[in-house]
Amino acid sequence: MASIDDTKAQLLRGVVQDNIDVLQGVRTRPLIRRKGRLQLWFWSGSLAIVIALSTLSSYLISRGSAPARSGATVSPVAAVLNIDFTPESEVPLSHPRPINREAIPLAIKTIVIDPGHGGEPGAISESGVTEKEITLDVALRLRRLLENGPFEVLLTRESDRRLSLDQRVAFANEHKADLFLSIHVNWMEPHTVRALETYYVGPTDDPATLKLASRENKDSAYALSDYKQILEKIYVDARRDESRVFAKTIQSRLFRSLKPKNPLLQNRGVKTAPFVVLIGTQMPAVLVEISSLSNEGDVELLTKMDYRENIALALLEGIRGYANGFKAFDGKGR
Amino acid sequence: MEETNETLCLGIDLGTSRSSVSASNGERHVIDSYVGWPVDMVARKLVKKPVMVGREALDNRPMLDLRRPLERGVMKDGSEKDQEAVQEILRHLISLAGIKQKGKNKARVRAVVGVPAEAFRVSRQNLRNALEGIADSVMLVSEPFAVAYGLEALLHALVIDIGAGTADFCVMQGRYPTDEDQKTLPNAGDSIDEQLMKLVRERHPDAQFSIHMIREWKENSSFVGERKERLMVSVPIKGKETQVDITSEMRAACESILPPVSETMIALLTKVEPEFQSKVRNNVIIAGGSSLISGLPEALSKALDELGGGRATVVHDPVFAGSDGSLAIARDASSSDWEKLSL
Repeated sequence: MASIDDTKAQLLRGVVQDNIDVLQGVRTRPLIRRKGRLQLWFWSGSLAIVIALSTLSSYLISRGSAPARSGATVSPVAAVLNIDFTPESEVPLSHPRPINREAIPLAIKTIVIDPGHGGEPGAISESGVTEKEITLDVALRLRRLLENGPFEVLLTRESDRRLSLDQRVAFANEHKADLFLSIHVNWMEPHTVRALETYYVGPTDDPATLKLASRENKDSAYALSDYKQILEKIYVDARRDESRVFAKTIQSRLFRSLKPKNPLLQNRGVKTAPFVVLIGTQMPAVLVEISSLSNEGDVELLTKMDYRENIALALLEGIRGYANGFKAFDGKGR
Repeated sequence: MEETNETLCLGIDLGTSRSSVSASNGERHVIDSYVGWPVDMVARKLVKKPVMVGREALDNRPMLDLRRPLERGVMKDGSEKDQEAVQEILRHLISLAGIKQKGKNKARVRAVVGVPAEAFRVSRQNLRNALEGIADSVMLVSEPFAVAYGLEALLHALVIDIGAGTADFCVMQGRYPTDEDQKTLPNAGDSIDEQLMKLVRERHPDAQFSIHMIREWKENSSFVGERKERLMVSVPIKGKETQVDITSEMRAACESILPPVSETMIALLTKVEPEFQSKVRNNVIIAGGSSLISGLPEALSKALDELGGGRATVVHDPVFAGSDGSLAIARDASSSDWEKLSL
């Protein structure tokens, strides 16, 4: 058995190494070990989930089962919408009629903010900054800002806690949230790209979006038996129009706010994707990729408090903009 | 850095509510983690100082722009003023320890600072940046780990450090703890304050009280479980000093942290290798300001019954357990280690 002095010496080596890792921006050793296992599981498991999702959706589309309700012509899905650079393309599927706000007065009271990942790190920059810490930091800032307003704000996690995607969905649904905002940080190829994207629920055949969805859906905890219901929600959920409006507001405010501080930032616009957190939630829901950890320029900005505060402020503006649309709709529309 | 004559080691527990320092010259001090700047020229003339730290700042708060710059055990967000406030607290702690910070013979300062077990890398980097110009070399360690090191509870122990901002857990298994051995919860002293404030306001809507009064009541009389005497406090109601009973509110507020703390404790214990679980269960050590809640160790020991029994005890000196542990690390680290971590 090791003497207490030997144990102390070993612990001190750990302390010093841990601090050197922080200084050098190297991720901690336990995370490296875990990453290898996770990647293998993730690529074999979650990619299969998304492929299955896409294949099943194509199958259902070709049979006309899900979209048959509206009688819409079904074609391969091109769902990438870009609000600033390209005209918004229609999702060529069953297109539910939007909520008539004149008929149903609505108000935004409860907002659920979902800081992506936790427990597991999510994306990790070359310099060791993890997605989980950025998303939580921005979410906490956003909560602080929102709490000055009339909203009740709830976070799916307030610490580095692992939550499955269905737990996040259940949290929002159980609290009867009026809005759901999931915050993530992207990892993009090539690494020179600095881009913002906001997603709402819907199908996609864009390979990059599929890859992203597979990454973000990896802790879904849904079973194969849930897929039919999931697919139906993707195609026929009437929340989609509201989610699209919400996504556009978020994306435009975010881009407008960050572009001056990050001149190389690209606006990848609003897109649809089958993210589990967007499928299962019962309220207007979006997933925003606030930056990219694959680009070290973005990472450097993300490590600055001011920049993260700016992101939170832009998200606040987006939420307020969307919420004010409801308030302002006294027969005038938005 | 210029040549120095003396090397001093410091252990610092930078807390959301209180911060303590233990120095190798034998000095030990604890301060309230408040910083205030005079709001205008009149205030400046009255307080006669450009900045006030600790209890002095709290006592003069009507004249000050008062900051409590730490949140959940790390520097608050966004505001440069809060960063400046953290630096003022650190400078103040160092000056209390009798360390000369200026001039030819200024001491070389090696500081070990405790942070929450799951403090983010960004938060750690911010803290390191704040220490530039204040210390020469810095190590950041998780708070419960520092407590364990100071107590030499290095094997088969679970340390729970419950402060104001966070409750931090660390299982010690004779090796440097991994992410899986540590946990941080936001349910700690501040969440008790918020709960108590809400409950007292609900029961006595006309009573006038501040968060500072709530904290004082909690620090004097917090408890979980049964209490023989009623807990009465004095508050103005419509301007008239009145005695009000807050026994049930205090109990409910303090007990609000029990479920998350117990659940996390049990979750960490069940991850320990089976042959050592019983040893760790019987060596649960509670530290931090909130460990002074009366009845807390008994309540956590009772929660351990679910796993077949165990024992939770409070450290001998909860206020300084963190900074003493950090000082022990600072003293034991070699000069070559310190050189690697120069600022």
